[in-house]
Amino acid sequence: MKKDLANKTYKIFLLKLAAFFIVISLLDFGIGYVLKKHYFKQQAGYDYQATYAIDTTKADILIMGSSRAANLFNPDIFERSFSLSCFNTGRYGYPIFYHYALLKAVVKRHKPKIVILSFDAGNFSINQEAYDRLSSLLPYYSSHPEIRPVVDLKGPYEKLKMVSSIYPYNSLLLPIISGNTNYSKKKYATIKGYIPLKENITLPLMKFDYSIEKKLDTVKINIYKAFIKECIDSKIKLFIVCPPYMVDPVGVDHSINEAKKIAAEYATNFFDYSRDAFYANKPELFADYRHLNENGVGLFSKNVIEKINSAGQIPYPIIKEIPKTEK
Amino acid sequence: MLFNSFHFLFFFIIVTSLYFLLSFSKRWILLLAASCYFYMAFVPIYILILGFTIVVDYFAGIFIENSQGKRRKFFLVCSLIANIGILCVFKYYNFINTNFSFLLHGFGLSNPIPYLSIFLPIGLSFHTFQAMSYTIEVYRGNQKTERHFGIYALYVMFYPQLVAGPIERPQNLLHQFKKKHLFDSDRVFEGLKIMIWGLFKKLVVADRLGIVVNMAYGNIDHQNGLTLLLATVFFSFQIYCDFSGYSDIAIGAARVMGFNLMTNFRRPIFAKTTGEFWKRWHISLSTWFKDYLYFPMGGSKVSVPRWYFNLMIVFLISGLWHGSNWTYIIWGGINGFYLVFAIVTKKYRDKFNAITGIIKFPRLFLFSEIAITFILITFSRIFFRSKSVEDAVTVIKKIGTFRGSISNIGINALAYSFFAIGFLLLVEFKREFYTGKFTLSNHQNFWVRNVYFSFLIILIITVGVFDGGQFIYFQF
Repeated sequence: MKKDLANKTYKIFLLKLAAFFIVISLLDFGIGYVLKKHYFKQQAGYDYQATYAIDTTKADILIMGSSRAANLFNPDIFERSFSLSCFNTGRYGYPIFYHYALLKAVVKRHKPKIVILSFDAGNFSINQEAYDRLSSLLPYYSSHPEIRPVVDLKGPYEKLKMVSSIYPYNSLLLPIISGNTNYSKKKYATIKGYIPLKENITLPLMKFDYSIEKKLDTVKINIYKAFIKECIDSKIKLFIVCPPYMVDPVGVDHSINEAKKIAAEYATNFFDYSRDAFYANKPELFADYRHLNENGVGLFSKNVIEKINSAGQIPYPIIKEIPKTEK
Repeated sequence: MLFNSFHFLFFFIIVTSLYFLLSFSKRWILLLAASCYFYMAFVPIYILILGFTIVVDYFAGIFIENSQGKRRKFFLVCSLIANIGILCVFKYYNFINTNFSFLLHGFGLSNPIPYLSIFLPIGLSFHTFQAMSYTIEVYRGNQKTERHFGIYALYVMFYPQLVAGPIERPQNLLHQFKKKHLFDSDRVFEGLKIMIWGLFKKLVVADRLGIVVNMAYGNIDHQNGLTLLLATVFFSFQIYCDFSGYSDIAIGAARVMGFNLMTNFRRPIFAKTTGEFWKRWHISLSTWFKDYLYFPMGGSKVSVPRWYFNLMIVFLISGLWHGSNWTYIIWGGINGFYLVFAIVTKKYRDKFNAITGIIKFPRLFLFSEIAITFILITFSRIFFRSKSVEDAVTVIKKIGTFRGSISNIGINALAYSFFAIGFLLLVEFKREFYTGKFTLSNHQNFWVRNVYFSFLIILIITVGVFDGGQFIYFQF
């Protein structure tokens, strides 16, 4: 009698639980479907840029990196100089993991001729946020298996979490709404991914101790190596550039040192402007300590182009026709 | 192991299933082993500290019960010294040493005592206080000694409340380990519902607001007054949802297995006075201080100055309990001052309310009381959140200017934050003022309840923050 009662209780519990999961699954599937549809329909914004880079771009030159890539490399200047099409995939605050995953996805479909990777001081420092930001690649997790190993660095349960149709679009509801409106088109107006900064810094030169962060993240270093190897294997000419800062530097940045060393090991060009006094002493070229303004970008791009040319390693003839323009 | 992780989800499912599958006599072994695993998932070595406390208090309990007169007191004092000693070494040693250095520096001397490079064991203050409540209650004769070492260890280590409470009392918890909890479908769902609401508070509200709060408080010098003001208000909601969210998950997880943990929060947002606030906020700690510190000092049954002194001492120690930093002590001091001030001015405030006639508008009066209490509590939390007293002063000064704009926070962050607060207030308001009415979570119809909790889970997946990290109170 007691056993029957217990069995009945378990049965009721399991039935209720099943009903609960059915309702959740239906809601998850329905809402996830709507979010997915509208995520890929966006016409502006960072997510749109990522989708464009992963699924569409056929640019000959790809610029990759964080905000210093997005704000400091004007594709128009590169297109004019090399007569090659160019697209800037730079994204604010995004680490090497993101750029590597993007590169993997692009290379599977199209091989750019040149990749310029913007490197920042402290890029190899240990911080959880770099891993958290891999969330932005979750919408591509199912359709792009090549990026999965990178996204899985986020944590051991990503595959399991992807059972949910909503999870890839977690926290993206508002960006999706905004990306589907004209507001976003106006707010995120870019020049082939480049976001010009017009303001001038009003603060004095800052003393900055680069040597504060001593511990480096070996996972980030390995991904950086993998990035370089991917370019070599795909016969893409890679230029790693560390743009200038408006700081009076003290000590050495361990990330930059390590990145330079690795680049040298792989015979890859590394142009380091991080301690360049020429730029640091010209506040009129900066929007803030980390970012050049439009004027600075003009000068800096010329500098980088000269260096690329003087490296003399562009393995294809300069085509004089106007390249097909990217969005 | 965080409650808001997949690791915990698997752990919970496995432990709970095994709990009901195992025979009653073996359940304590399972729970103890699970609790050890749970604690060791943070920093394994610190289980030794917990083990030391358990052994000391287990034998102290037996010795106290077997002794008479001064010997009883002696064993109690030994137990208290061992517990407080551990707290002092791991939590306060470096703080005391820093202040000692500062003092010596004033006399032109240097401090020869070295600093310790140790991490604070997670939840140390919580389980130490829980362990102390056992020996005190045994000493007072309110609790019989627990002779079963495993059951006693489980009392200190019971995983749902091990690292952040509720700080249980032996009278409430110990006997529950000896009770045979049968599988009860309704109770299991009841527990799961509490857990879901706790997760919602943590992931959708606390961690979402935490993004803005961390941004503002992490870089005070570059923030304007309005941003800091908003961040401070957000912090008030964040800490409530972070901590009460944890408590809800703990209470829910225990309820699923048939255990009733004490209520730790009763919607403190709607407290009408600061005194009432402390009856609604972190109840297990407030009552701990009341039972073991405030009443033994004489409580309110002493001279008026001594009463004020007692209140101030309790709150200063409560501040120190939270952390080894002057910011916490000042925070405690401010809250103690609020209580003393409220007592001193009660007559005048009543007169003022009568003269202005505000009491004739009960809803307006209630709202003003709740708003004033919220502002006072939120103000004190500036010290709680700031890294140093200097930072707190800077925040207050900047907020005082009422200048700036909140545009640097970003429209998405603001929209999510206000949605989270709005939803929380709506639910809490309903629970506070319309108990039993318009209820969805306890609706008679199964499908209404089902859809409501499914909706909560969908909200968690859609707008919850999955990379928010630890619970704030773990550090205490």
